[in-house]
Amino acid sequence: MGLVENGKLPKPLTALLNISRKYSLWVYQWGLACCAIEMGAAFGSPRYDVMRLGVIPFPASPRQADLVVVSGTVTDKMAPAVKRLYEQMPDPKYVISMGSCANCGGPYWDSYSVTKGVDQIIPVDVYVPGCPPRPEALLEGIVLLQERIRSEDMGERWNGDPIVVS
Amino acid sequence: MDTVAEAAPADEARDALVATLGEALGDGLVASEVQPGVDVWVRVAADSWLAAGVALRDRCGMSYFNFLSAIDWQPSPFGRDMDSQVDGPEANDPGPMEWGTTGGEARFQLLARVHNPVTGLGVTVKADLPGDRPEVDSWIPAYAGANWHEREAWEMFGIDFRGHPNQVHLYLPGAFEGNPLRKDYPLLARRIKPWPGIVDVELMPGDDDSADDGEGDDA
Repeated sequence: MGLVENGKLPKPLTALLNISRKYSLWVYQWGLACCAIEMGAAFGSPRYDVMRLGVIPFPASPRQADLVVVSGTVTDKMAPAVKRLYEQMPDPKYVISMGSCANCGGPYWDSYSVTKGVDQIIPVDVYVPGCPPRPEALLEGIVLLQERIRSEDMGERWNGDPIVVS
Repeated sequence: MDTVAEAAPADEARDALVATLGEALGDGLVASEVQPGVDVWVRVAADSWLAAGVALRDRCGMSYFNFLSAIDWQPSPFGRDMDSQVDGPEANDPGPMEWGTTGGEARFQLLARVHNPVTGLGVTVKADLPGDRPEVDSWIPAYAGANWHEREAWEMFGIDFRGHPNQVHLYLPGAFEGNPLRKDYPLLARRIKPWPGIVDVELMPGDDDSADDGEGDDA
């Protein structure tokens, strides 16, 4: 599929591919604090089965992931690792920020060590508020992201940045 | 049983521990407090800090090192307390210091907790360190596990541990400047923004809300 490499496709094909991408999101779970437990419960438990949405929470590395859920408190010390994780993901890539801490620092709004929002490091597509968010809220965030994927032009998401191995 | 225990408060094991420490340290043992059947605290001179660790390990059987940390007893110069919603803009006189159990003399108090796993006894050791240049011998010769605890106390309080083999940042990023757990460390977010959580607080049903905005008092 040489056509897909720059993301420029004829419109009907784009719509078809968007639907395919929407229902095959491989999500990397980037759990940093207590929200990681909630994310695991929302993604892994049979009650809130996330795979019915086509979200597959088992990539072995960020290089196989389409979506990363940053859940929990991002500290200044962790920030370089979060940025590196994002850089390792192949285009087109999406980010969900889960919970108050990842959104804006949350209860650690005055801390000396907490990054006040993961959007200071990487671009965020969907913010899921809550401390922690209910599983339904996280799934709603995924549905919102899927709506965005369905209606977008893939070429615009295509940064074309090569994956740098260092 | 309780009344008998209260009538004759005696704790031979803990009293013996304090006596052993006093014998080992001499004047280095500054103060001690025993709550019979509860716990024991001792305060030693900063010069006797390492000697206290060695004596606890070798003569009192305190082979289990629990933790080492520090306290900055100076009140916040920014007027920060449990109820304040915003920091004062300028550092002002923090007021007098108050110390906890066994008292104190200086701004910083180093404290460590060690246990005897055979008898189950534990002891909290404290040492006063001056505010201008807190410096003390490392406890690593006595308890190797103190290594990371001392690194944490060093980066959070700026306490220098003489003889520490690797005194570098443990939790903070490498380029971090300042000692964030010191009371005079400014939290810049608090300067520009009141505590945002207060907007979420609603009165409980039945609480007096007449001092509030007056809503609901019309009837």
